[in-house]
Amino acid sequence: MVISAVDLPPVREGRRGAVVSLLALSMLWLAAPPAHAHQADQPRMDFVLPPPGTYELHRIMRAPDGPVLTVDGRLEKLSRFTRDRITLLGFIYTSCPDPQGCPLAYRVFDRIKEEIRGTPALKDEVQLVTLSFDPARDTPSVMKRYAGRQLEDEGGLRWFFLTTPSVRELMPLVEGFGQDVQYAVDRSTGRPVRQLSHVLKVFLIDRSGYVREIYTSTFLHPRAIIGDVKTLLME
Amino acid sequence: MHLIGPKSAASIPAAVAIATLLGASVARGDETCNSPYMAKLIKGQEDYVYVWALGVDGLGDGSDKLVTVDVDPKSKSYGKVLNQVSVGTRGEAHHMGFTDDRRRIWAGGLSGGDIYVFDIAADPARPRLVKTIKDLAAKTGFIGPHTYYALPGRMLVQALSNDKDKGGVTGIALYNNEGEFMARYPMPLDNGGDGYGYDLAVNPTKNVLLTSSFTGHANYMRPLGELIKDEAAMKRFGKTMVAWDLKAMKPQTVMQVPGAPLEIRWSLNPGDDWAVTAAALTSKLWLVRRDASGQWQAKEVATIGDPSKIPLPVDISIRRDSKGLWVNTFMDGMTRYFDLSNPEAPTQTYEKHTGRQVNMISQSWDGTRVYITSSLLANWDKAGADNEQFLRGFQWDGKELKPAFEIDFTKEKLGRAHHMKLGSKVLRTAYVAPGPR
Repeated sequence: MVISAVDLPPVREGRRGAVVSLLALSMLWLAAPPAHAHQADQPRMDFVLPPPGTYELHRIMRAPDGPVLTVDGRLEKLSRFTRDRITLLGFIYTSCPDPQGCPLAYRVFDRIKEEIRGTPALKDEVQLVTLSFDPARDTPSVMKRYAGRQLEDEGGLRWFFLTTPSVRELMPLVEGFGQDVQYAVDRSTGRPVRQLSHVLKVFLIDRSGYVREIYTSTFLHPRAIIGDVKTLLME
Repeated sequence: MHLIGPKSAASIPAAVAIATLLGASVARGDETCNSPYMAKLIKGQEDYVYVWALGVDGLGDGSDKLVTVDVDPKSKSYGKVLNQVSVGTRGEAHHMGFTDDRRRIWAGGLSGGDIYVFDIAADPARPRLVKTIKDLAAKTGFIGPHTYYALPGRMLVQALSNDKDKGGVTGIALYNNEGEFMARYPMPLDNGGDGYGYDLAVNPTKNVLLTSSFTGHANYMRPLGELIKDEAAMKRFGKTMVAWDLKAMKPQTVMQVPGAPLEIRWSLNPGDDWAVTAAALTSKLWLVRRDASGQWQAKEVATIGDPSKIPLPVDISIRRDSKGLWVNTFMDGMTRYFDLSNPEAPTQTYEKHTGRQVNMISQSWDGTRVYITSSLLANWDKAGADNEQFLRGFQWDGKELKPAFEIDFTKEKLGRAHHMKLGSKVLRTAYVAPGPR
């Protein structure tokens, strides 16, 4: 199976309304689904994927657990959304301005949802989790707006949009996953400047709660991810 | 504790710039040939050069140590040693590598199997030894950990030898970022493979891992003058490179590259599908490239110095745009620059004698600053006055390497200066930022 960037169909523009510029969207602080996601360049991958089941996905670490909030404001444990099915989990913040970051993750999740919709055998085996690491801004209602129609049951797989009550609950999760948050320091004062960035990472978690693969923007390709999911299902 | 985030619309353009600066996408090159999974590269002025130094008996505490040098020209302590962390023992300190989040440096010694993990996130100027991984040999049978190469959440460790016969047959170990062993991958012995290892480097967009090959503990720990007289031992050097399926971690193609191919540098320009290496014993540059059928092939593309005089090319450093390559040759102390505009035919355009013995070479992201160290191996370094041990900084204007500073590692009682990594105090990675609560 040779895959390349052209394998990804473009996001349908009409689905989420008109395209809004990345900067304008960020400045308006709209917590809407990232309609600009299609602007992100997909990683070009030009290689032959090993067939599912012919390689091993080692246990990298146990996925951390802790309290999270659903879009309805219910307090739950994260493990409720990361066990029993194979989970793809990605951290985002709804105001993320980096096209190679959160919008790319959203688009890939959306593409995976579409692909799994066409593979009924996978539908009940996989779930998606989008977790905010900006709890001060990304309240449950903001996450609900961000999720948009993805929360509707269209016969596809489950996609949970979660946040945390505060930084206190967030940090063990962020640290546990190794989802680093980057910041810059003002040379003159030595103090951090108030901008935040993160390296896009998506975590593949098996049914027992172990992280089995970590995708960055260089390996965040739906077909590669689906291949890994199938590999786990063959264990 | 406070998680920082964009606080106002006015901060967004800067946030975009920061995101770009920090590089959430694949690196197009690197400041010192780091893993492309290491998203945070120093594209401006680096503040520090970390030097992993071999201990010398009678010099300071005689132990291997990680030395921090201030290389910010605007600093009052420019060109001075800021800090040193001794590991309390001497074990042939050699190479090191960052974890993918650049929070930690892994460094090891070739005489055994210990791997030292230093935290550089808390205080980049003062690394802290936080863990010593001691199970490499027990878990894998490999010794002499050499290359540390970051994958997301984990580290590939290429070893040089084994604990059975201490020859060159070895393999790769996989650890998670916490230093917990995950898997072992022996170097191939079939399909032309010699089982030897040295460096490894990944091209994620091609799903390929390239490995090279050197020699085993029995050779690299032996005095060089004695070794080169041993005809049988001199046959026990690597002569292969291997292209692996990165995802499956399975060898795919064994390429014959005689003369101990060492450091591997990928061109990560979009669309490029080639890497270069230097074969130490034959003094040749080799190009590894995919052919029209998709097979990885290696071919000799240039000669470094006069091979009959055995200049011994050791480290190489590729420009971020892959248009040029620095090559250090240990025996003659020369630093050469090759025009790599056509990787099929590299052409030497500059050379300078930079020391009586030179080994590692690193350059800044923009290529204007070049750093060189002196030590190869404790028993291979020269003797007497030729045994200079230093870190030398240079300015490169495209025409001339101009000395900027020098630290005498013997005079400073630091030991033999070997591998370098660059550090920054203005680019931090943290789960939680320090700041107002």
